[in-house]
Amino acid sequence: MTPFLEVKDVRKSYGAIKAVDGVTFDVGPGQIVGVIGPNGSGKTTLFNSILGQIKPTSGRVDFCGEEITGMAPLELARRGVGRTFQSLQVFVKLSVRDNLIAAAQEFKGTLAARLIAPPDAGLGDQADRMIELFRLQHVAHLPAGSLSYGQQKLIDIAMAFMPAPRLVLLDEPCAGVNPSLVDQLRELLVTLNQAQGGSFVVIEHNMEFIMRLCPHVICMVEGKVMAEGPPAEVQSNRQVLEAYLGN
Amino acid sequence: MSARAQGPFGSASVAVRMVALAVGVVAFAVLPLFLKSYGVYLCTLFCVYLMATFGLNLTVGYAGQMSLGQAAFLGIGAYIAAIGMKAGLPFYAMLPVSAIACFGIGLMLGFPALRVQHHYLAFATLGFNVLVFLIMRNEESITGGTFGISGIPRPGFFGLSLDGNLAYFWFTLVATLVVMGLLGWLLRSPWGRAFAALRDNPIRAESLGINITAYTLFAFAIGATCAGIAGVYFASLVQFIEPAPFHFSTSLMMLLGVIVGGSGRFFGPVLGTVIIVLLPEWLRFMQNWYLAVFGFAVVALMIWLPGGLLSIPDKLRLRRRAQ
Repeated sequence: MTPFLEVKDVRKSYGAIKAVDGVTFDVGPGQIVGVIGPNGSGKTTLFNSILGQIKPTSGRVDFCGEEITGMAPLELARRGVGRTFQSLQVFVKLSVRDNLIAAAQEFKGTLAARLIAPPDAGLGDQADRMIELFRLQHVAHLPAGSLSYGQQKLIDIAMAFMPAPRLVLLDEPCAGVNPSLVDQLRELLVTLNQAQGGSFVVIEHNMEFIMRLCPHVICMVEGKVMAEGPPAEVQSNRQVLEAYLGN
Repeated sequence: MSARAQGPFGSASVAVRMVALAVGVVAFAVLPLFLKSYGVYLCTLFCVYLMATFGLNLTVGYAGQMSLGQAAFLGIGAYIAAIGMKAGLPFYAMLPVSAIACFGIGLMLGFPALRVQHHYLAFATLGFNVLVFLIMRNEESITGGTFGISGIPRPGFFGLSLDGNLAYFWFTLVATLVVMGLLGWLLRSPWGRAFAALRDNPIRAESLGINITAYTLFAFAIGATCAGIAGVYFASLVQFIEPAPFHFSTSLMMLLGVIVGGSGRFFGPVLGTVIIVLLPEWLRFMQNWYLAVFGFAVVALMIWLPGGLLSIPDKLRLRRRAQ
């Protein structure tokens, strides 16, 4: 399988601290890859290095055969790379529906064309379908900031999928989500993966979620990849268990 | 109706809102018929300030930027118009010239906003206003300095004279409605949503492909253009301009108008401009106390209604829901 995303020996240092220390991995088309590791293992720094939020100290990131190392988030978005953040990132004063439309409208025509485009930028139906998929119909017209944390998390994730990106990096999608919603969230991600055909990279601490969602898992410890492979194999790796549970 | 587009009449239907708006406009249009000359002047001044505060509401309320330089654009528009019209150029030629000049300068003023935010940006824009004010005051050969420029003519309209106060009021009111209409259309377009996204969360906005650089610059440029157009109407209204009305304290009053009315609410500047232009005049019967009472009223408003006067319906709705 030709790699879709290639991360090659990426390093990020803050003085003497090596937050990411030579990480290499591939993601194939349509593949879902999980990234696990204890707090401070460099997962989010790795995400931010891939996504242009921070510039890696060294290494290279290729997407669809093109180098994207250090590329600005705006350029990455235009190439079909989406993301969610560890903390909630919604547009609090916009309605749920407007949040979803805002997430995709910049991919419709030019800046000037959007000035004379209809208010919903022709994305109303798509937004409504996404609202239905995420079961947010009853709050679709309420400001996102007035909703519960779990509902905002769902909006946050739905926004990342609105432009039908080719690659989505999800940073702790289950954080703060009611356990009863976790299964729903996993099913949604599987549905979107099948419907849109994009590749996902998912950082998550919820082991059950990641083991059931991702056919391939990477475990990071102290900035390095400690283990990689099918979930069962990584889960039974002695070093991984030690990193999580101690000796 | 989306939260973004929610108007001052809350969840009332579009038809009810349009009727209420039309009644309000007609009532305001006929009001000067019952006023003396100074009252008509105040109503016209209200329209002029309304154009400028509507522009500022786009920059501050919708796009989430900070600006303490709106009076500078009012002044730039007024001086360009005054100099041009004194040179014999028509009002209708100076209107686009002032608008384009303010658009360009506003675009440039947007650049600091790409690097700094909040109070740092407030000081950067305030510095711009001070700089423009000093140019108006000191460059006597161009601006007339503190002596100003007098004898600015009023335009005609298809052969009709607008020299009368009432005629000029209606002329300015129509321009104000056109500016409001254009801004309303802009804010209902995808641009309006992009401005709101920039205000609420610029990092997320950029990760979703929203060009925050372009929208930040346009937020300043469009806001400045509105003030520039207002400046042209101001010059012909007072027919004599000097630097004092374009001091940064006027920018502060405009910002106050936007915030008191309801920042980021379309009709917020209407109430805000009533507060900053008309309320001080109504309070004049208090003689020496009127400014103190005005100041107290503003402080009280900010404490009890930080969301502005137009947040009252939302507050009442929330209270009803809680009961």
